[in-house]
Amino acid sequence: MDASAWIQAIANGFALGWMYVLIALGLTLILSIMGILQLAHGEVYMIGAYVTYFLCVSLGVNLYASMIISMIVMGVFGVILEKFLFRPAQRQILPPIVVSLGLTLILMSFAVTQFGLKEKSIPRLAEGSIMFFDSAVPKDRIIAVGFAVALLLLLYLFLKRTKYGQAMIASAQSPEGALLRGINPNRMSSLAMAIGCALAAAGGTLAGSILMLNPSMGTFPLMKGLVIIVLGGMGSLLGAAVGGIILGLIDGILPVAFEPGITSVAPFIIVIIILLVKPQGLFGHE
Amino acid sequence: MSRKLLIIITITAVLAAVIIILPLALNSVYWTSILVLIGINILVVSSLRTIKLLGHISLGHVGFSLIGAYGSGLLATKLGLSVWLTMFLGGLMAAVLALVLSYPFLKVKGIYFALLTLLTAETLRLITWYWKGFTGGFWGLLKIPSPGPIVIGGLTIDFNNVNSYYYLTAIIVAISLFILYRLENSHLGFKWRAIQDTDVLAQSVGINVKWHKMLNFTIACFFAGIAGALFAHFQHSLSPDANARFGVLMSIYLVVYMVVGGESKFSGPIIGTVVLSIISELARGLGEYRPMMIGAIAIVFILLIPEGLVGLPFRCKLWYRKLLRLTQRGSA
Repeated sequence: MDASAWIQAIANGFALGWMYVLIALGLTLILSIMGILQLAHGEVYMIGAYVTYFLCVSLGVNLYASMIISMIVMGVFGVILEKFLFRPAQRQILPPIVVSLGLTLILMSFAVTQFGLKEKSIPRLAEGSIMFFDSAVPKDRIIAVGFAVALLLLLYLFLKRTKYGQAMIASAQSPEGALLRGINPNRMSSLAMAIGCALAAAGGTLAGSILMLNPSMGTFPLMKGLVIIVLGGMGSLLGAAVGGIILGLIDGILPVAFEPGITSVAPFIIVIIILLVKPQGLFGHE
Repeated sequence: MSRKLLIIITITAVLAAVIIILPLALNSVYWTSILVLIGINILVVSSLRTIKLLGHISLGHVGFSLIGAYGSGLLATKLGLSVWLTMFLGGLMAAVLALVLSYPFLKVKGIYFALLTLLTAETLRLITWYWKGFTGGFWGLLKIPSPGPIVIGGLTIDFNNVNSYYYLTAIIVAISLFILYRLENSHLGFKWRAIQDTDVLAQSVGINVKWHKMLNFTIACFFAGIAGALFAHFQHSLSPDANARFGVLMSIYLVVYMVVGGESKFSGPIIGTVVLSIISELARGLGEYRPMMIGAIAIVFILLIPEGLVGLPFRCKLWYRKLLRLTQRGSA
């Protein structure tokens, strides 16, 4: 295989990786602060993409503006979900899972009835491609990665530099300890859902501008997010970021070298090996 | 004691009579097919509840159904083995895979177990999707034969007929449910429950926690495999499509059936599957809004009636008392 194909594969992997990170960070935030596995997160991603589609294609709003509106809409939606569905079901195992599964059915059905099963597409972020070491890298992917990185940087600054961000980190590390220091766990949960859902909406929009939109588009990133959670350590934010990039690179490079069947099994095998060798993940703590 | 026994015998007899008469009374291929699928789902959901006895929630039970279905289907089509044998072998394959996977899986608890099983099912589905040469890939596995005809006292029973397949399903599901019920009420079942309550204490009184967990998972997956095999030889074709039998959506429906029926009692999954399947069939006019309805039912039940349908009488009594107290306070 020649070098340009490898460069293409690595570029694709990075682009995929940042999309995965957007999903996985939301999942991890919700998991570590609320103790809930949000299985409807993929559907939030899907609805977020459709909201952008609706604003941009049906109403003719500017693409970037629609993406930001979509993030805000889904963030508010997340807060509502947290308050009325997840909060009553918290601190147990079965109820939150069932709530998120029911939500998956509702949101998927909503998308099918409102937007139809036919595939839709959001306009591309940019046309053309940039030459990079003799291989063409599409511009829209570079912009998508740029957006994802910018969002994650904002999240990083928020978590590191603001009072609320620090409170969230404390809450994620030890909910009881944070409670003792006077941090309101309900407010932290709302914040986690808002940020998680907004990131998912951004991920859905960026992926939707590269790929296609359909009502079942959420399953695939959800599975990736779950793999990343195990890979990076359950509930570790840094782990989610690094795990996302690693998985993206694996998914970018493996299809070039092997058959697609092997690519689909690889994440699963990684998860099994991690569980056997280092159950706390790459960056997890006990 | 004897009175209780009498009641049980009467209920069983009435149920058996209803099950036998139903397809004859309905006299419709469509509804009998629905009944066969309900029977198969009852077995899957009941075996899902067997895992729940440990406190674990599996979101990947369809994966083991898939192994049973494809295992049995492939053995019958490629090797031409008798379907009676391949159905059992299908279940066995699912059990062996479950035994192997249970070692790493049962190291984790709660939501992480749910996460892993979900990934397993999706991976198994993708393997069948991509392995075109062997499983038929996305075209699906076609031309799966029915079980061979059997002759009882000069009477030949042909299983291409929906009614006879219905009775076959009813018998296999009934036997499987009986085994699951007996297991749950044996010393094994008590140990499983002890592990759910507190595995450290169970370990300290001499229960081999790891082994009992593995055994539980293996048995449950065996019956999921049997149910899958029953499905394969009924439909005569299998598809690895995400929206078909072995996708994530089906996993979701199975958990919803279990929760709405009530996972605390053995009858819960059976009642939940029957009631929700019938509601879903009757609401055919709603079309694509049906999943929304099922999802809403699931959320309402888990938040307001977490005991499920089997706990409904108890819940109603509680609500009635509350209402009574409120009205009394109002009048006083």
